[in-house]
Amino acid sequence: MTTPSIYRDLLLEHARHPKNSGRLESPDLRASAFNPLCGDELELTLTVSEGTIQDCKAQVRGCSICQASASMMSELILTKTLQEAANISQVFTESLQKDTEEIAESLDSLRPLIVLKKHRSRIKCMKLAWDALEECARQNQT
Amino acid sequence: MQISPLTAKVRDDFPILKRKINGHPLAYLDNAATTQKPNCVIDAQVRFYENHNSNVSRGVYTLAEEATDIYEEGREIIAKFIGAADSGKIIFSSGTTESINLVASAWAQPKLKTGERIMVTEMEHHSNLVPWQLVAQNCGAELVYWPLNPESGNSSDGRLDLQKLDELLAESVKLKRKIRLLTVTAVSNVLGTVNPIAEIVKIAHAHGVPVLVDAAQAVARMSIDVSAWDCDFLAFSGHKIYGPTGIGVLYAKHERLEEMHPFQGGGGMIRQVGRQTSTWADAPQKFEAGTPPVAEVSGLAAAVGYLADVGLPEIQQHELELTTHALKRFAEFKDLELYGPPETIDRSGVLSFNLQNVHPHDVAQVLDESGIAVRAGHHCTQVLHKRLGIAASVRMSFGLYNEISEIDRIFSALDQARNIFLA
Repeated sequence: MTTPSIYRDLLLEHARHPKNSGRLESPDLRASAFNPLCGDELELTLTVSEGTIQDCKAQVRGCSICQASASMMSELILTKTLQEAANISQVFTESLQKDTEEIAESLDSLRPLIVLKKHRSRIKCMKLAWDALEECARQNQT
Repeated sequence: MQISPLTAKVRDDFPILKRKINGHPLAYLDNAATTQKPNCVIDAQVRFYENHNSNVSRGVYTLAEEATDIYEEGREIIAKFIGAADSGKIIFSSGTTESINLVASAWAQPKLKTGERIMVTEMEHHSNLVPWQLVAQNCGAELVYWPLNPESGNSSDGRLDLQKLDELLAESVKLKRKIRLLTVTAVSNVLGTVNPIAEIVKIAHAHGVPVLVDAAQAVARMSIDVSAWDCDFLAFSGHKIYGPTGIGVLYAKHERLEEMHPFQGGGGMIRQVGRQTSTWADAPQKFEAGTPPVAEVSGLAAAVGYLADVGLPEIQQHELELTTHALKRFAEFKDLELYGPPETIDRSGVLSFNLQNVHPHDVAQVLDESGIAVRAGHHCTQVLHKRLGIAASVRMSFGLYNEISEIDRIFSALDQARNIFLA
């Protein structure tokens, strides 16, 4: 049998062996996100020094897409400033909303996720980690 | 494909079943969410718009009288379908959700006092839970649960214990905490459990507690007789019995209708309108403000006629065969956890399960790649899922057009899910 197109190798690798999985013991920022459609939840914990993300872990109770997205995000935002991370999140969200296949260069590592946007019902799964990231960025501003 | 006598007869009536999804014939197994529509239902609505469209009970011209006749005949058909003594007890709504909200707002809210209770079960759909939370919060009342069997732990056979109900109701009387209403589903949209409604009503009435029955899942799966059940209220949706979306039904006993305040204000529900106050039309019009869904009622009437033509006993027998086969297949796999009654006793063709270590979303996605439509998630029953110790599940639910071979396709596709996620 063939592997369904949605589950590419890289995505499955992230889902099976997620990077930065779990909870930080003494995080500076912490945010949870929920998917009301399926009851999935995710907790993101960050340590931040002088605005830069030093460490990041995501505790995920969700599907493979949700898990892979959190894993890919964690790799991308480590050592970035919170502002840079929030900007990436915004570009990621915009690219999910656009009809075109074009993907910004800064998001190249997220390509396996973004190509799944035609499965509209899975966008919330992809977004869960990023919603938590944006909430962390908001907390940091206030 | 292995074709049963019933499906050989009905499959051609449903145009959507000719569709291919991802290169495979559509296997539609999400009938607990909504059912597909036969040609006669689609045609009835088209016929209404092409020939009779006008507003009801408002004009003296021919079209208006025809539309009014179609609408009121629909009420008669529904009354007969559920065993109501007369059509005056049938209120049309937009669906089960609105029907239940109507009872919560128009009947429960004016009655409920601080400290009083509403009893729900742990298996209720959010539509038969959240309206009661809202009304309880508004009135300082309390929501109490009739738990699944057994009372503690995660595992359950998906059944409700009648003796427990009797005890809980007696306990409330002793505590002087009046229970205003017991609200219970006739068939669980997750567990597939068929609840013994007549017995439940008998016990509740013995304690002076009225009963609302959520018949959303039951109505396409079994004969309903509100007179024999003796329930005070019963709610269901048209779209789950092969009828249109946007139409639902609330049945209420005469004495309950008398107790009900208006729900929404507007045209059609009044007798006289003054500058400051108004008086109300009699039931059921009192609860049907605004232009009603006439085309949808004509579609719903056609759906009820279709079910009668095919035969509810035949549909029930067919569902039993599908369920028996599915349960047999489930027993073959140790990594599949099935929820609800493990045998066909007290169970209908709604089967929720999990494949160990694979998220329901991922299972459903793999099934979709094979043209199989099932539901994944909490199915609007977060309280129940929490009770079962899970966040989500995969659900297959049968309709009268489903085939045993379609169930087998699920089990083949599950193998594919194992290969992808567990290899």
